[in-house]
Amino acid sequence: MNAAWALLWKDLVTEWRSRDRLVAMVVFSFLVVVVFQFAWPPMEAGEMTRFAPGVLWVTYLFAAVIGLGRTFALELENDAMTALALAPGTRGWLFLGKAGATWVLITAVQAMTAFVFALFFRVDLMTGVVGFATLVAVANVGICSIGTLLSAMSVRSRFREVLLPVLLIPTLIPILTSAVVGTTATLAGEGLPFAALQPLIVIDGVYLILSFLLFDFVLDE
Amino acid sequence: MAAPHSAPDPADSIQRSLRVLGWLLVLLSPAYAWAVITAPIDRVQGVMQKILYVHPPLAYGAYLGFVVTAVAGGLFLWRQQAVHDQLAIAGAEVGTLFCTLMLITGPIWARGAWGPGNWWVWDPRLTLTLLLWFVYLAYLLLRSFTEGDERAARLASIYGILGVALIPLNYWIIDLAGGRAQHPENIEQGSLGAGMGMPFLVGNLTLFFAFAYLLVLRWRVGLLQNALAEAEAEADRGPQRAA
Repeated sequence: MNAAWALLWKDLVTEWRSRDRLVAMVVFSFLVVVVFQFAWPPMEAGEMTRFAPGVLWVTYLFAAVIGLGRTFALELENDAMTALALAPGTRGWLFLGKAGATWVLITAVQAMTAFVFALFFRVDLMTGVVGFATLVAVANVGICSIGTLLSAMSVRSRFREVLLPVLLIPTLIPILTSAVVGTTATLAGEGLPFAALQPLIVIDGVYLILSFLLFDFVLDE
Repeated sequence: MAAPHSAPDPADSIQRSLRVLGWLLVLLSPAYAWAVITAPIDRVQGVMQKILYVHPPLAYGAYLGFVVTAVAGGLFLWRQQAVHDQLAIAGAEVGTLFCTLMLITGPIWARGAWGPGNWWVWDPRLTLTLLLWFVYLAYLLLRSFTEGDERAARLASIYGILGVALIPLNYWIIDLAGGRAQHPENIEQGSLGAGMGMPFLVGNLTLFFAFAYLLVLRWRVGLLQNALAEAEAEADRGPQRAA
Protein backbone atom coordinates (compact mmCIF):
# COMPACT_ATOMS: atom_id res chain seq x y z
CA MET A 1 0.00 0.00 0.00
CA ASN A 2 2.85 2.37 0.92
CA ALA A 3 4.49 1.50 -2.38
CA ALA A 4 1.40 2.78 -4.22
CA TRP A 5 1.48 6.15 -2.44
CA ALA A 6 5.24 6.49 -2.87
CA LEU A 7 5.07 5.78 -6.58
CA LEU A 8 2.07 8.05 -7.10
CA TRP A 9 3.83 10.90 -5.31
CA LYS A 10 7.11 10.28 -7.15
CA ASP A 11 5.37 10.30 -10.55
CA LEU A 12 3.43 13.47 -9.80
CA VAL A 13 6.48 15.33 -8.50
CA THR A 14 8.56 14.25 -11.51
CA GLU A 15 5.79 15.36 -13.81
CA TRP A 16 5.40 18.67 -12.01
CA ARG A 17 9.12 19.41 -12.31
CA SER A 18 9.42 18.60 -16.01
CA ARG A 19 5.78 19.02 -17.19
CA ASP A 20 6.82 17.09 -20.32
CA ARG A 21 3.86 14.78 -20.56
CA LEU A 22 1.38 17.43 -19.46
CA VAL A 23 2.42 19.95 -22.11
CA ALA A 24 2.64 17.35 -24.85
CA MET A 25 -0.81 15.96 -24.08
CA VAL A 26 -2.45 19.38 -23.82
CA VAL A 27 -1.01 20.60 -27.12
CA PHE A 28 -1.94 17.33 -28.79
CA SER A 29 -5.52 17.50 -27.47
CA PHE A 30 -5.98 21.09 -28.66
CA LEU A 31 -4.70 20.09 -32.07
CA VAL A 32 -7.08 17.16 -32.39
CA VAL A 33 -10.07 19.36 -31.43
CA VAL A 34 -9.01 21.90 -34.07
CA VAL A 35 -8.25 19.30 -36.74
CA PHE A 36 -11.87 18.15 -36.71
CA GLN A 37 -12.96 21.67 -37.67
CA PHE A 38 -11.12 21.32 -40.98
CA ALA A 39 -12.31 17.81 -41.64
CA TRP A 40 -16.04 18.21 -42.18
CA PRO A 41 -18.32 20.08 -44.54
CA PRO A 42 -19.81 23.40 -43.38
CA MET A 43 -22.73 22.85 -41.01
CA GLU A 44 -25.04 24.64 -38.62
CA ALA A 45 -24.03 25.12 -34.99
CA GLY A 46 -26.92 22.90 -33.88
CA GLU A 47 -25.77 20.10 -36.15
CA MET A 48 -22.28 20.39 -34.73
CA THR A 49 -23.41 19.66 -31.18
CA ARG A 50 -24.64 16.27 -32.35
CA PHE A 51 -21.08 15.28 -33.24
CA ALA A 52 -19.49 17.09 -30.30
CA PRO A 53 -19.58 14.29 -27.66
CA GLY A 54 -18.01 11.82 -30.07
CA VAL A 55 -15.29 14.25 -31.11
CA LEU A 56 -14.54 15.11 -27.49
CA TRP A 57 -14.15 11.48 -26.45
CA VAL A 58 -12.05 10.52 -29.45
CA THR A 59 -9.77 13.43 -28.48
CA TYR A 60 -9.70 12.25 -24.85
CA LEU A 61 -8.85 8.70 -25.80
CA PHE A 62 -6.07 9.66 -28.22
CA ALA A 63 -4.54 12.02 -25.68
CA ALA A 64 -4.75 9.27 -23.05
CA VAL A 65 -2.94 6.87 -25.40
CA ILE A 66 -0.16 9.45 -25.86
CA GLY A 67 0.17 9.97 -22.11
CA LEU A 68 0.01 6.27 -21.27
CA GLY A 69 2.78 5.56 -23.76
CA ARG A 70 5.15 7.51 -21.52
CA THR A 71 4.00 5.98 -18.21
CA PHE A 72 6.85 3.49 -18.02
CA ALA A 73 9.23 5.06 -20.52
CA LEU A 74 10.91 7.05 -17.76
CA GLU A 75 11.49 3.90 -15.71
CA LEU A 76 13.53 2.37 -18.53
CA GLU A 77 16.30 4.90 -17.92
CA ASN A 78 18.90 3.71 -15.42
CA ASP A 79 16.96 0.43 -15.46
CA ALA A 80 14.50 1.64 -12.83
CA MET A 81 12.10 -1.06 -14.08
CA THR A 82 14.31 -3.68 -12.44
CA ALA A 83 14.29 -1.70 -9.22
CA LEU A 84 10.50 -1.60 -9.36
CA ALA A 85 10.37 -5.34 -9.95
CA LEU A 86 12.62 -5.87 -6.90
CA ALA A 87 10.38 -3.81 -4.61
CA PRO A 88 8.97 -5.98 -1.81
CA GLY A 89 5.26 -6.67 -1.53
CA THR A 90 2.50 -7.25 -4.07
CA ARG A 91 3.24 -5.69 -7.43
CA GLY A 92 -0.40 -4.74 -7.77
CA TRP A 93 0.31 -1.77 -5.50
CA LEU A 94 2.96 -0.53 -7.94
CA PHE A 95 0.30 -0.72 -10.62
CA LEU A 96 -2.14 1.26 -8.47
CA GLY A 97 0.44 4.01 -7.82
CA LYS A 98 1.24 4.34 -11.52
CA ALA A 99 -2.42 4.25 -12.55
CA GLY A 100 -3.32 6.83 -9.89
CA ALA A 101 -0.68 9.29 -11.07
CA THR A 102 -1.80 8.82 -14.68
CA TRP A 103 -5.42 9.37 -13.61
CA VAL A 104 -4.51 12.77 -12.10
CA LEU A 105 -2.53 13.75 -15.19
CA ILE A 106 -5.14 12.66 -17.74
CA THR A 107 -7.98 14.28 -15.81
CA ALA A 108 -6.10 17.59 -15.67
CA VAL A 109 -5.47 17.48 -19.43
CA GLN A 110 -9.11 16.64 -20.11
CA ALA A 111 -10.33 19.56 -17.98
CA MET A 112 -8.16 21.96 -19.99
CA THR A 113 -9.26 20.40 -23.28
CA ALA A 114 -12.91 20.78 -22.28
CA PHE A 115 -12.57 24.58 -22.21
CA VAL A 116 -11.07 24.75 -25.68
CA PHE A 117 -13.65 22.28 -26.92
CA ALA A 118 -16.54 24.34 -25.46
CA LEU A 119 -15.12 27.42 -27.16
CA PHE A 120 -14.74 25.91 -30.63
CA PHE A 121 -17.90 23.80 -30.60
CA ARG A 122 -20.03 26.52 -28.98
CA VAL A 123 -21.13 24.07 -26.31
CA ASP A 124 -22.28 25.25 -22.91
CA LEU A 125 -20.39 22.90 -20.61
CA MET A 126 -21.73 24.59 -17.49
CA THR A 127 -25.24 23.18 -17.97
CA GLY A 128 -24.32 19.69 -16.86
CA VAL A 129 -20.88 20.25 -15.39
CA VAL A 130 -21.34 18.02 -12.31
CA GLY A 131 -22.67 15.10 -14.32
CA PHE A 132 -19.99 15.54 -16.98
CA ALA A 133 -17.18 15.74 -14.40
CA THR A 134 -18.47 12.60 -12.67
CA LEU A 135 -18.62 10.78 -15.99
CA VAL A 136 -15.06 11.76 -16.92
CA ALA A 137 -13.71 10.84 -13.48
CA VAL A 138 -15.37 7.40 -13.59
CA ALA A 139 -14.40 6.69 -17.21
CA ASN A 140 -10.78 7.62 -16.47
CA VAL A 141 -10.51 4.88 -13.82
CA GLY A 142 -11.10 2.28 -16.52
CA ILE A 143 -8.86 3.99 -19.07
CA CYS A 144 -5.98 4.34 -16.59
CA SER A 145 -6.18 0.81 -15.19
CA ILE A 146 -6.17 -1.07 -18.50
CA GLY A 147 -3.85 1.57 -20.01
CA THR A 148 -1.24 1.26 -17.26
CA LEU A 149 -1.20 -2.53 -17.57
CA LEU A 150 -0.85 -2.44 -21.36
CA SER A 151 1.71 0.37 -21.19
CA ALA A 152 3.91 -1.76 -18.93
CA MET A 153 3.47 -4.67 -21.34
CA SER A 154 4.40 -2.76 -24.46
CA VAL A 155 7.22 -0.57 -23.11
CA ARG A 156 9.98 -3.07 -23.80
CA SER A 157 8.77 -4.19 -27.21
CA ARG A 158 9.83 -3.12 -30.66
CA PHE A 159 7.51 -0.50 -32.19
CA ARG A 160 6.07 0.28 -28.77
CA GLU A 161 4.58 3.55 -30.12
CA VAL A 162 2.38 1.51 -32.48
CA LEU A 163 1.87 -1.51 -30.29
CA LEU A 164 0.28 0.34 -27.36
CA PRO A 165 -2.58 1.91 -29.39
CA VAL A 166 -3.19 -1.38 -31.19
CA LEU A 167 -3.45 -3.22 -27.86
CA LEU A 168 -5.29 -0.47 -26.03
CA ILE A 169 -7.93 0.94 -28.38
CA PRO A 170 -10.02 -2.26 -28.73
CA THR A 171 -10.25 -2.44 -24.93
CA LEU A 172 -11.36 1.21 -24.73
CA ILE A 173 -14.33 0.84 -27.14
CA PRO A 174 -16.82 -0.15 -24.39
CA ILE A 175 -15.74 2.91 -22.36
CA LEU A 176 -16.05 5.16 -25.42
CA THR A 177 -19.58 3.91 -26.19
CA SER A 178 -20.92 4.59 -22.70
CA ALA A 179 -19.04 7.87 -22.25
CA VAL A 180 -20.45 9.31 -25.49
CA VAL A 181 -24.01 8.31 -24.49
CA GLY A 182 -23.52 9.97 -21.08
CA THR A 183 -21.91 13.13 -22.50
CA THR A 184 -24.71 13.58 -25.04
CA ALA A 185 -27.22 13.56 -22.18
CA THR A 186 -25.26 15.92 -19.90
CA LEU A 187 -24.60 18.40 -22.72
CA ALA A 188 -28.34 18.44 -23.44
CA GLY A 189 -28.91 19.33 -19.77
CA GLU A 190 -30.66 16.05 -18.99
CA GLY A 191 -28.38 15.02 -16.13
CA LEU A 192 -26.14 11.95 -16.06
CA PRO A 193 -28.17 8.85 -17.05
CA PHE A 194 -27.63 5.72 -14.97
CA ALA A 195 -27.66 3.70 -18.21
CA ALA A 196 -24.32 5.35 -19.09
CA LEU A 197 -22.79 5.32 -15.60
CA GLN A 198 -23.62 1.70 -14.76
CA PRO A 199 -21.57 0.10 -17.59
CA LEU A 200 -18.65 2.42 -16.82
CA ILE A 201 -18.63 1.32 -13.17
CA VAL A 202 -18.75 -2.34 -14.19
CA ILE A 203 -15.92 -1.86 -16.72
CA ASP A 204 -13.88 0.01 -14.08
CA GLY A 205 -14.33 -2.89 -11.68
CA VAL A 206 -13.39 -5.54 -14.23
CA TYR A 207 -10.35 -3.65 -15.57
CA LEU A 208 -9.12 -2.61 -12.13
CA ILE A 209 -9.28 -6.11 -10.65
CA LEU A 210 -7.84 -7.83 -13.74
CA SER A 211 -5.00 -5.30 -14.08
CA PHE A 212 -4.18 -5.41 -10.35
CA LEU A 213 -3.89 -9.21 -10.46
CA LEU A 214 -2.21 -9.56 -13.88
CA PHE A 215 0.36 -6.83 -13.24
CA ASP A 216 2.20 -9.36 -11.09
CA PHE A 217 3.25 -11.15 -14.30
CA VAL A 218 4.19 -8.08 -16.34
CA LEU A 219 7.53 -7.05 -14.85
CA ASP A 220 10.54 -9.23 -15.68
CA GLU A 221 12.01 -11.25 -12.83
CA MET B 1 20.43 -39.75 -27.26
CA ALA B 2 17.33 -38.25 -25.65
CA ALA B 3 16.85 -38.78 -21.94
CA PRO B 4 14.33 -41.53 -21.13
CA HIS B 5 10.92 -40.16 -20.13
CA SER B 6 9.26 -41.34 -16.98
CA ALA B 7 5.82 -40.21 -18.18
CA PRO B 8 4.34 -41.10 -21.62
CA ASP B 9 5.43 -38.62 -24.27
CA PRO B 10 2.64 -36.08 -24.97
CA ALA B 11 3.84 -35.94 -28.59
CA ASP B 12 2.55 -39.52 -29.05
CA SER B 13 -0.99 -38.70 -27.92
CA ILE B 14 -0.99 -35.52 -30.04
CA GLN B 15 0.10 -37.60 -33.04
CA ARG B 16 -2.65 -40.14 -32.37
CA SER B 17 -5.39 -37.53 -32.01
CA LEU B 18 -4.22 -35.88 -35.23
CA ARG B 19 -4.66 -39.17 -37.05
CA VAL B 20 -8.17 -39.72 -35.62
CA LEU B 21 -9.25 -36.16 -36.43
CA GLY B 22 -7.79 -36.45 -39.93
CA TRP B 23 -9.78 -39.61 -40.65
CA LEU B 24 -12.96 -38.05 -39.28
CA LEU B 25 -12.47 -35.12 -41.64
CA VAL B 26 -11.84 -37.40 -44.62
CA LEU B 27 -15.08 -39.25 -43.86
CA LEU B 28 -17.20 -36.17 -43.05
CA SER B 29 -16.14 -33.79 -45.82
CA PRO B 30 -17.89 -35.59 -48.72
CA ALA B 31 -21.01 -35.97 -46.56
CA TYR B 32 -20.89 -32.26 -45.78
CA ALA B 33 -20.52 -31.29 -49.44
CA TRP B 34 -23.33 -33.67 -50.42
CA ALA B 35 -25.64 -32.34 -47.67
CA VAL B 36 -25.08 -28.72 -48.69
CA ILE B 37 -25.56 -29.43 -52.42
CA THR B 38 -28.78 -31.40 -51.92
CA ALA B 39 -30.22 -29.07 -49.24
CA PRO B 40 -33.43 -27.32 -50.37
CA ILE B 41 -33.01 -23.86 -51.90
CA ASP B 42 -34.54 -21.11 -49.77
CA ARG B 43 -37.68 -19.61 -51.30
CA VAL B 44 -36.81 -16.02 -50.35
CA GLN B 45 -33.02 -15.83 -50.27
CA GLY B 46 -32.22 -18.37 -52.97
CA VAL B 47 -28.92 -20.21 -53.07
CA MET B 48 -27.24 -17.51 -50.94
CA GLN B 49 -28.96 -18.95 -47.88
CA LYS B 50 -26.57 -21.91 -48.06
CA ILE B 51 -23.88 -19.76 -46.46
CA LEU B 52 -25.79 -20.65 -43.29
CA TYR B 53 -24.09 -24.07 -43.42
CA VAL B 54 -20.66 -22.41 -43.26
CA HIS B 55 -21.02 -19.11 -41.41
CA PRO B 56 -22.29 -20.07 -37.91
CA PRO B 57 -19.91 -23.06 -37.55
CA LEU B 58 -17.04 -20.68 -38.34
CA ALA B 59 -18.30 -18.40 -35.56
CA TYR B 60 -18.27 -21.22 -33.03
CA GLY B 61 -14.72 -22.05 -34.06
CA ALA B 62 -13.62 -18.44 -33.67
CA TYR B 63 -15.00 -18.13 -30.14
CA LEU B 64 -13.69 -21.57 -29.18
CA GLY B 65 -10.21 -20.61 -30.38
CA PHE B 66 -10.20 -17.52 -28.23
CA VAL B 67 -11.39 -19.43 -25.18
CA VAL B 68 -8.60 -21.98 -25.76
CA THR B 69 -6.10 -19.09 -25.92
CA ALA B 70 -7.28 -17.61 -22.63
CA VAL B 71 -7.40 -20.93 -20.76
CA ALA B 72 -4.00 -22.01 -22.08
CA GLY B 73 -2.63 -18.54 -21.25
CA GLY B 74 -3.93 -18.87 -17.69
CA LEU B 75 -2.32 -22.32 -17.41
CA PHE B 76 0.96 -20.89 -18.70
CA LEU B 77 0.97 -18.09 -16.10
CA TRP B 78 0.26 -20.68 -13.41
CA ARG B 79 2.59 -23.52 -14.47
CA GLN B 80 5.17 -21.77 -16.72
CA GLN B 81 5.22 -24.65 -19.19
CA ALA B 82 5.91 -24.03 -22.88
CA VAL B 83 3.38 -26.70 -23.87
CA HIS B 84 0.54 -24.45 -22.64
CA ASP B 85 1.94 -21.43 -24.42
CA GLN B 86 2.10 -23.36 -27.68
CA LEU B 87 -1.57 -24.32 -27.23
CA ALA B 88 -2.41 -20.62 -26.66
CA ILE B 89 -0.68 -19.68 -29.94
CA ALA B 90 -2.55 -22.44 -31.77
CA GLY B 91 -5.88 -21.22 -30.34
CA ALA B 92 -5.21 -17.63 -31.34
CA GLU B 93 -4.03 -18.43 -34.87
CA VAL B 94 -6.77 -20.91 -35.73
CA GLY B 95 -9.35 -18.67 -33.99
CA THR B 96 -8.21 -15.68 -36.04
CA LEU B 97 -8.45 -17.76 -39.23
CA PHE B 98 -12.03 -18.84 -38.41
CA CYS B 99 -12.94 -15.29 -37.35
CA THR B 100 -11.58 -13.88 -40.62
CA LEU B 101 -13.51 -16.41 -42.70
CA MET B 102 -16.65 -15.64 -40.70
CA LEU B 103 -16.20 -11.91 -41.32
CA ILE B 104 -15.81 -12.64 -45.04
CA THR B 105 -18.78 -15.00 -45.41
CA GLY B 106 -21.16 -12.71 -43.45
CA PRO B 107 -20.95 -9.73 -45.84
CA ILE B 108 -21.18 -12.05 -48.87
CA TRP B 109 -24.51 -13.28 -47.52
CA ALA B 110 -25.62 -9.71 -46.72
CA ARG B 111 -24.77 -8.51 -50.23
CA GLY B 112 -26.67 -11.44 -51.73
CA ALA B 113 -29.70 -11.07 -49.48
CA TRP B 114 -30.08 -7.30 -49.40
CA GLY B 115 -28.74 -6.28 -52.79
CA PRO B 116 -25.79 -4.20 -54.03
CA GLY B 117 -23.98 -2.00 -51.53
CA ASN B 118 -25.28 -3.83 -48.47
CA TRP B 119 -22.03 -5.48 -47.42
CA TRP B 120 -22.04 -4.32 -43.86
CA VAL B 121 -24.42 -3.29 -41.08
CA TRP B 122 -23.49 -2.29 -37.54
CA ASP B 123 -25.38 -5.18 -36.06
CA PRO B 124 -24.48 -5.88 -32.39
CA ARG B 125 -22.98 -9.29 -32.97
CA LEU B 126 -21.13 -8.14 -36.08
CA THR B 127 -19.64 -5.22 -34.19
CA LEU B 128 -18.61 -7.47 -31.33
CA THR B 129 -16.96 -9.96 -33.65
CA LEU B 130 -15.08 -7.22 -35.48
CA LEU B 131 -13.76 -5.94 -32.14
CA LEU B 132 -12.74 -9.44 -31.17
CA TRP B 133 -10.93 -9.83 -34.46
CA PHE B 134 -8.95 -6.65 -33.70
CA VAL B 135 -8.15 -7.92 -30.20
CA TYR B 136 -6.64 -11.10 -31.61
CA LEU B 137 -4.73 -9.31 -34.35
CA ALA B 138 -3.30 -7.22 -31.51
CA TYR B 139 -2.50 -10.46 -29.66
CA LEU B 140 -0.54 -11.77 -32.64
CA LEU B 141 1.26 -8.42 -33.07
CA LEU B 142 2.16 -8.39 -29.38
CA ARG B 143 3.74 -11.82 -29.79
CA SER B 144 5.80 -10.81 -32.79
CA PHE B 145 6.91 -7.42 -31.42
CA THR B 146 7.94 -8.62 -27.96
CA GLU B 147 11.53 -9.72 -27.64
CA GLY B 148 12.40 -12.90 -25.75
CA ASP B 149 10.32 -16.09 -25.93
CA GLU B 150 9.53 -16.24 -22.23
CA ARG B 151 8.46 -12.60 -22.05
CA ALA B 152 6.37 -12.86 -25.23
CA ALA B 153 4.60 -15.92 -23.83
CA ARG B 154 3.94 -14.21 -20.49
CA LEU B 155 2.62 -10.94 -21.95
CA ALA B 156 0.56 -12.70 -24.62
CA SER B 157 -1.06 -14.86 -21.92
CA ILE B 158 -2.14 -11.70 -20.09
CA TYR B 159 -3.62 -10.20 -23.25
CA GLY B 160 -5.38 -13.45 -24.15
CA ILE B 161 -7.12 -13.44 -20.76
CA LEU B 162 -8.10 -9.77 -21.18
CA GLY B 163 -9.45 -10.52 -24.66
CA VAL B 164 -11.84 -13.17 -23.42
CA ALA B 165 -12.96 -10.93 -20.54
CA LEU B 166 -13.89 -8.37 -23.20
CA ILE B 167 -16.38 -10.72 -24.93
CA PRO B 168 -19.19 -10.66 -22.30
CA LEU B 169 -18.40 -7.03 -21.45
CA ASN B 170 -18.77 -5.85 -25.05
CA TYR B 171 -21.81 -8.04 -25.60
CA TRP B 172 -23.52 -6.36 -22.69
CA ILE B 173 -22.49 -2.80 -23.62
CA ILE B 174 -23.57 -3.17 -27.24
CA ASP B 175 -26.84 -4.67 -26.06
CA LEU B 176 -27.39 -1.70 -23.72
CA ALA B 177 -26.61 0.77 -26.51
CA GLY B 178 -29.24 -0.96 -28.64
CA GLY B 179 -28.95 -1.64 -32.34
CA ARG B 180 -30.58 -3.63 -35.07
CA ALA B 181 -30.15 -7.34 -34.60
CA GLN B 182 -29.59 -9.26 -37.81
CA HIS B 183 -28.76 -12.50 -36.02
CA PRO B 184 -31.27 -14.84 -34.43
CA GLU B 185 -31.11 -15.16 -30.64
CA ASN B 186 -29.45 -18.31 -29.34
CA ILE B 187 -32.54 -19.38 -27.47
CA GLU B 188 -34.73 -19.14 -30.58
CA GLN B 189 -35.28 -22.71 -31.74
CA GLY B 190 -36.76 -24.17 -34.89
CA SER B 191 -35.90 -21.22 -37.14
CA LEU B 192 -34.53 -23.59 -39.81
CA GLY B 193 -36.78 -24.66 -42.67
CA ALA B 194 -37.58 -28.30 -43.50
CA GLY B 195 -34.57 -30.27 -44.76
CA MET B 196 -32.09 -27.65 -43.57
CA GLY B 197 -31.43 -29.12 -40.11
CA MET B 198 -29.31 -32.06 -41.29
CA PRO B 199 -26.86 -30.09 -43.49
CA PHE B 200 -26.56 -27.52 -40.68
CA LEU B 201 -25.68 -30.26 -38.19
CA VAL B 202 -23.20 -31.95 -40.55
CA GLY B 203 -21.64 -28.54 -41.29
CA ASN B 204 -21.19 -27.86 -37.59
CA LEU B 205 -19.63 -31.26 -36.98
CA THR B 206 -17.26 -31.08 -39.96
CA LEU B 207 -16.04 -27.58 -39.26
CA PHE B 208 -15.66 -28.40 -35.55
CA PHE B 209 -13.38 -31.31 -36.44
CA ALA B 210 -11.56 -29.09 -38.95
CA PHE B 211 -11.02 -26.58 -36.13
CA ALA B 212 -9.76 -29.28 -33.77
CA TYR B 213 -7.49 -30.75 -36.46
CA LEU B 214 -5.88 -27.38 -37.28
CA LEU B 215 -5.56 -26.54 -33.58
CA VAL B 216 -3.76 -29.78 -32.73
CA LEU B 217 -1.65 -29.56 -35.89
CA ARG B 218 -0.51 -26.02 -35.05
CA TRP B 219 0.14 -27.10 -31.45
CA ARG B 220 2.32 -29.97 -32.67
CA VAL B 221 4.26 -27.68 -35.03
CA GLY B 222 4.94 -25.30 -32.13
CA LEU B 223 6.13 -28.10 -29.87
CA LEU B 224 8.38 -29.48 -32.63
CA GLN B 225 9.85 -25.99 -33.17
CA ASN B 226 10.58 -25.79 -29.44
CA ALA B 227 12.19 -29.23 -29.47
CA LEU B 228 14.31 -28.28 -32.48
CA ALA B 229 15.47 -25.05 -30.82
CA GLU B 230 16.39 -27.00 -27.69
CA ALA B 231 18.27 -29.62 -29.68
CA GLU B 232 20.22 -26.93 -31.53
CA ALA B 233 21.08 -25.18 -28.28
CA GLU B 234 22.23 -28.53 -26.88
CA ALA B 235 24.35 -29.17 -29.98
CA ASP B 236 25.96 -25.74 -29.59
CA ARG B 237 26.81 -26.45 -25.99
CA GLY B 238 28.32 -29.85 -26.87
CA PRO B 239 31.59 -28.70 -28.52
CA GLN B 240 32.13 -26.09 -25.79
CA ARG B 241 31.95 -28.77 -23.13
CA ALA B 242 34.40 -30.96 -25.06
CA ALA B 243 36.84 -28.03 -25.36
